[in-house]
Amino acid sequence: MMQTADLGIERMTATAGDIAAINLESARQRSWSRFWRAPEQAGIAEGIVEQEQLTAQFMGDLSAFDRLEMLVTELARAEPESGRASLIAAQVACSTHRFAEARESLGLAVARGVTPDAADRLSLTIDQATGVNLSDVLAARRQRAGRPGHWEERVPLGALLADLGEFDGADRAYVEALRTYPDVSPFAPAWACFQLGVLWGECIPAPQPERAAQWYRTAIEYLPGYVKARVHLAEIYLDQGRTEDARTLLVPALESGDPEVSWRLADLAEAAGDRGESAVHLAAARSGFEALLARHPLAFADHGAEFYLGSGDDPARAFELAQMNVANRPTRRALEQAHAAALAAGEADAADTLRVDAGERWGNAVPLPVTTD
Amino acid sequence: MSDHIDGPRSIGDPSIDMTDLFTFISPENPSRTVFAADVFPSAGSSAVFTDAANHAIVARRVTVAGLGDAAKFQAGDREIRFNFRFDKLEAQPGQKPLQRGTCTLPDGQTLRFVVNDEKGATTPDGTFRVFAGLRSDPFLLAWLGASLKPFRNLLEHDNVLCFLVDFDTKRVLDPAQGSLFGVIAETTPAPQPGAFVGHPPPRFDWVGRPEQTNVRLNNPGVKGDDVRDLWNQQTPFAIAPEYAPIFRKRLVDSLHDYDMRDGKEDWSPAQIAASANVFLDDFELIDVAKPTTDTSYLEIEKSTLNGRPYQTGGGRTLNAHDIDILFTWIVNRDREPMVGGATQATQLGRNTFPYLAPPNTELQTVAESIVVGAPADKVWALIGPFGAMWHPLIAEIRLTGAGEGQLRTVETIDGKVIIERMDATDNARRQYRYSGITGMGASNYTGILEVAQKGGESSVTWRVQYLSDGQPTIIIRTIVATLQKVGLESLKKRFG
Repeated sequence: MMQTADLGIERMTATAGDIAAINLESARQRSWSRFWRAPEQAGIAEGIVEQEQLTAQFMGDLSAFDRLEMLVTELARAEPESGRASLIAAQVACSTHRFAEARESLGLAVARGVTPDAADRLSLTIDQATGVNLSDVLAARRQRAGRPGHWEERVPLGALLADLGEFDGADRAYVEALRTYPDVSPFAPAWACFQLGVLWGECIPAPQPERAAQWYRTAIEYLPGYVKARVHLAEIYLDQGRTEDARTLLVPALESGDPEVSWRLADLAEAAGDRGESAVHLAAARSGFEALLARHPLAFADHGAEFYLGSGDDPARAFELAQMNVANRPTRRALEQAHAAALAAGEADAADTLRVDAGERWGNAVPLPVTTD
Repeated sequence: MSDHIDGPRSIGDPSIDMTDLFTFISPENPSRTVFAADVFPSAGSSAVFTDAANHAIVARRVTVAGLGDAAKFQAGDREIRFNFRFDKLEAQPGQKPLQRGTCTLPDGQTLRFVVNDEKGATTPDGTFRVFAGLRSDPFLLAWLGASLKPFRNLLEHDNVLCFLVDFDTKRVLDPAQGSLFGVIAETTPAPQPGAFVGHPPPRFDWVGRPEQTNVRLNNPGVKGDDVRDLWNQQTPFAIAPEYAPIFRKRLVDSLHDYDMRDGKEDWSPAQIAASANVFLDDFELIDVAKPTTDTSYLEIEKSTLNGRPYQTGGGRTLNAHDIDILFTWIVNRDREPMVGGATQATQLGRNTFPYLAPPNTELQTVAESIVVGAPADKVWALIGPFGAMWHPLIAEIRLTGAGEGQLRTVETIDGKVIIERMDATDNARRQYRYSGITGMGASNYTGILEVAQKGGESSVTWRVQYLSDGQPTIIIRTIVATLQKVGLESLKKRFG
């Protein structure tokens, strides 16, 4: 297996991924227990937000978002007027891409006296996710990443630079985050490695799949249960015809319930000519995506659109979801996806409108093709 | 809260977060001394140690180098170090994974042990005995720190990961050369084969006396930057001279603020400065030639600051109310006792090895109810039979036997198989009680389904209690809550 050293930096000491996953689950379980006993006690709900977000992000357990909604409801019942309850409501709304609601809750949190640093940090996240005030966001991200000891600010800086098409800068930000990481938790370095995989495998105009694969492999070395890294690496293996390697990655991730795993297993079965098995996995993926979309439509609109544009084979549904995503956050990637979905769905006028909109917002950064009939 | 989650950095990996250090003469053998340290505040039942850190308890011989306002405890250079390392997990078919560890003793010999083995491991000559594993948190936090109001124990039912060493005092510490020791515990980076430590701090966390970080350095009554991470990166027994003035000033400001919390000035500026200097040398003091008791914590420091010889072994026992002792000292200089809102931790420390009480378990409750527009008898007729097929998430039920003790094998629509046993049924009260046998990843799993008449309508309540066993509590909770919610909502649809 390729070591991080082959990519220019060494693999750092970190807690074994299985231990970290067990301890995350252990801490999360205990936090909920403490929360049910004393929901108003400072620090517990904040810890749950972090633990549930890690669980969703790394373990692929998307029911974490349902639990976060429950947390917000219970906290609002326990202390309806508090700034921390509003801040947590804003964080949870942001994590499920309900950005308008997140802004509203954040405004309430500020009015109720939460610290400026906590509010600024979330405000930046919302602006970055929705593609608003990006030059200001970039300046603030650079300033925050430059503060001594704030290595964790470098990953969102890298993501923003990637969104802006500054790929070398993004690479440097991620690698610097890895180099300056001061902890032993494997979650953060696994995340930086995953982002590097996305950068080299998906963001740059001429993707370098082998380079991306090395980063995904490193992310999985840190955290064997990292579902998204497994899915992305499996996609590369599928493209390379390495079906058994892809299967080895995907099968253990199936129990997470993440529909992307079923989707890729369907592709795998299709590639092997097993239409029956492919149909079973596709049905599971479709039902998984629709269940997620029913509960958290904005959070999964882009993922759903991607699925229906691909093996889900429902361009109209893809376009519907992509439009929802663009309306919520008109980022470069969202516009690219919506344009592709419009073309696939035969919505030529809508595709042209999206192209014009993209040009106005992003200039040449989004070279969307002109519709040809 | 002692040293629980005492800096932003420790939120990364909770298993490197030092929470507490206890030093006491063994209650089962006064010729032996016990050093016990904890990591991972509020650890859940499945918590394990990180394999990427050294966990150490370190002692140095200390002398009293000044009394009164010149109070000073001078630590020697020689370290007596007990270093614990933990292995990666070993898979065990059908069981939780096993973790082993190694303790490197001050004389260089190593002792292998199995985590959570209550017998621990002992050197052949009996000099050393070590333990590591999940235990009930012995710490009692019965105050609201910001307002200094007594409160219930905020750490009730909490567990921690503990590592401890129990040793022959004479053979290991040679008290004839001086019986006063300063003790700290720390977690430090442990390089792994083939791995590179990028820019790690020299240590992740360390603890000397309880409450150095969360009470004295992070007093909410004193404005200023959060210096706890900077403190955690200091070298124990050798605070960096360039940072010492920062910490000293924070301690002086903090101690002055605590002194004035009751509106009375019990400490002169010189006394506060002396106290700050003593707290700046942050190690737990124990005189191994004298007895330690539940009230002897801080006695060595207090007597020395008061200009007289100390009388006890100091130390810190598992059942010491150390926050009460601390607040009484720093707020009113022992003028009147300050007592927190709870009398003891969740479980008291024990008199026998491994001293810390076994981990706590908690019965979880998930309950849901709904009001439906139909008479209770009509609703009960539908859902009262143990094998009734009324739940939309259930694909099939097979019954085995009859009456109490009857088993039902439930297959859910997503293929999950659950086996439950009827414990009691009461048609007059329209209630039945059942137990889970398999399929839920829980033990002590009991459920009650009940229908009560409520005017012209009826109220259906479904309550489940369990101890998680093999599955995280929240997952079981989510499964149970979903079953309850979907089931009860289907009744609403059916009966209105």
